[in-house]
Amino acid sequence: MIKLSEQNLRIPKFEKKVYVVAGGLTDYRKRYPEKNTSQLCTEALRMAVEENDLKVSPDEVRQMVNWCVYSQFADHFGDQLLAAAKIHDYLGFDPLGNIEVKTGGATGGSAVLAAAQAVASGYATCVPVVGWERMDEVPTKVGNSYIASAACKDFESELGWMYAAYYALMAQRYQYENNVPREALAKIACKNHEYAYYSPYSQNPGKYTVQDVLDNETVSHPLSYLECCVMSVGAAVLFLADEETALKMTDHPIELTAICGGSHTLRTADRRHMPILLLPNETEETYKDYFNQKRNDWPGFSSFLASRMAAYLAYNMAGIKDPVEDFDILETHDAFTISDVQTYEDIGLRPYGRGREFIESGDAYFEGKLPTNLSGGLIGSMHAVGATGIFQIVELLWQLQGKWGKFHADPERWTKYGKKKPDDFRDLQVPGARRGCAISHAGTGSHVTCAILEKP
Amino acid sequence: MAIEWPTTQLEKQSDDPMVILNPKTWSHYHSYGGWGKFFDGLRERKLLATRCSNSDCGEKRLWLPPRCECPDCWHETQWVEAPQTGRIYTWSVVKYPGELFKLPAGTPLISVEIEGVCTKLMSFLKEGTPEIGMAVKAVFNVDNPTNSILDLAWVPA
Repeated sequence: MIKLSEQNLRIPKFEKKVYVVAGGLTDYRKRYPEKNTSQLCTEALRMAVEENDLKVSPDEVRQMVNWCVYSQFADHFGDQLLAAAKIHDYLGFDPLGNIEVKTGGATGGSAVLAAAQAVASGYATCVPVVGWERMDEVPTKVGNSYIASAACKDFESELGWMYAAYYALMAQRYQYENNVPREALAKIACKNHEYAYYSPYSQNPGKYTVQDVLDNETVSHPLSYLECCVMSVGAAVLFLADEETALKMTDHPIELTAICGGSHTLRTADRRHMPILLLPNETEETYKDYFNQKRNDWPGFSSFLASRMAAYLAYNMAGIKDPVEDFDILETHDAFTISDVQTYEDIGLRPYGRGREFIESGDAYFEGKLPTNLSGGLIGSMHAVGATGIFQIVELLWQLQGKWGKFHADPERWTKYGKKKPDDFRDLQVPGARRGCAISHAGTGSHVTCAILEKP
Repeated sequence: MAIEWPTTQLEKQSDDPMVILNPKTWSHYHSYGGWGKFFDGLRERKLLATRCSNSDCGEKRLWLPPRCECPDCWHETQWVEAPQTGRIYTWSVVKYPGELFKLPAGTPLISVEIEGVCTKLMSFLKEGTPEIGMAVKAVFNVDNPTNSILDLAWVPA
């Protein structure tokens, strides 16, 4: 059993307030040979400094930077060790100090966490977080092998060389314990592919019916292709700053009120149980009937302790009482439909065992109580792994600044990426959005970060 | 002295953008370290797990995959034979495995719950159709071992 002390569960504190001031993206593609990685990072950086209505020139931004954080998941995909040094030089930031962060799928979230720690402690006042992934140098089957190297190579990688298989094991157990209709999972895929349809950045947009998803080819039973994240090439950039610097840079900074991390075993097999760690909107009463013959321990294979831990810390740090009520917008790490339902429970959108209600009730949709993955998420838009957690927060920033339209609706932006804005385009700006949350997630739940952004 | 130009050509895949083929063919010498005993055990039809040997340690759980050191107190563990029967905790059938997969596509992947063991070991079902709760027993690849976790599999008990 996992035993946690009060000190283990200490709620983190920022010594100084941390703000998000600007963001930039590239579009995301399965293959992107037209631009090398250095060029993609520069493109995202230029968008951040030139298109975010900053009060300072790009050159003045350069003069404000005093620390950089880089975010790349897999050296073997890019086939370049110390790639961060190459990107740092290409962006002209030498001789400033920098650090490269690596925590699997949560690399982007962890990189933002590292940058926030630098700003919150006073170590730095203006920090660009630059993330990317180049996943097109190898065939897809080799790419899946590379990703499965992020399972335990001694005891688990050989059993599939395919991450979807490891999630499929959880999906089967989750369905056994919770009796979730396949349709509920498929709805998540439909939603995220559709929102990706309204994003010029997205790699895998589409309007699909639940039946299309269910009829789609299976990757690893029960998950179909349309329920799995894409494999992408692209970059994302986010600027964090302290209050004084943020207000020099923009009239509309968004406060990062919390970003916290949790972890659990790389091998799903090795997860130990513990009493359910309760979120502010749960009590012992919430789970009095939870355990039964099918479900006799927590987190088991149905829940992510890392996500629960990250949410527990971040909600307490930012004073969140009820996520569905308190957040106006959410970005989850929807690597697979099943992990999304599991996450709904881990972050307290519904109690354990009832995650399906978050999608079935309509809460997760644009019109619902907590619009989720309006960016298109990992299933519809992108999973250029090192960029993903940054991309999520960039999308949140623009939503909270009321700039979603500026960055998604302009037909010229679609043309820039060689696309045509759809005739049936929808405006996905959440009116009056004030507070948002982003979940970045690795492995089968090895690392998770929970970020909370708030309009001051 | 004149240095000759290298003759190994990186084969061009396209002109604009210029894409070249960069072959990678080397192998790694990977040591299982202290876990090697587990893989040796498979060849003797033994399923070797570990338990903490520190009398002051509270948990003393049986670990499979084995851990040579205890995660609770960081002391050495002792090798113990684990039961060779269990139940399927969950399963999947991998239709599109990654490049290095050595089993046929369609192999049922299973997690096995073994009484007394604190983990749910990942493995594959060599015969039969998987179902959650199904009783299974361990089988071992002793004739032509791969020296990997694929030397262990399960069949209906």
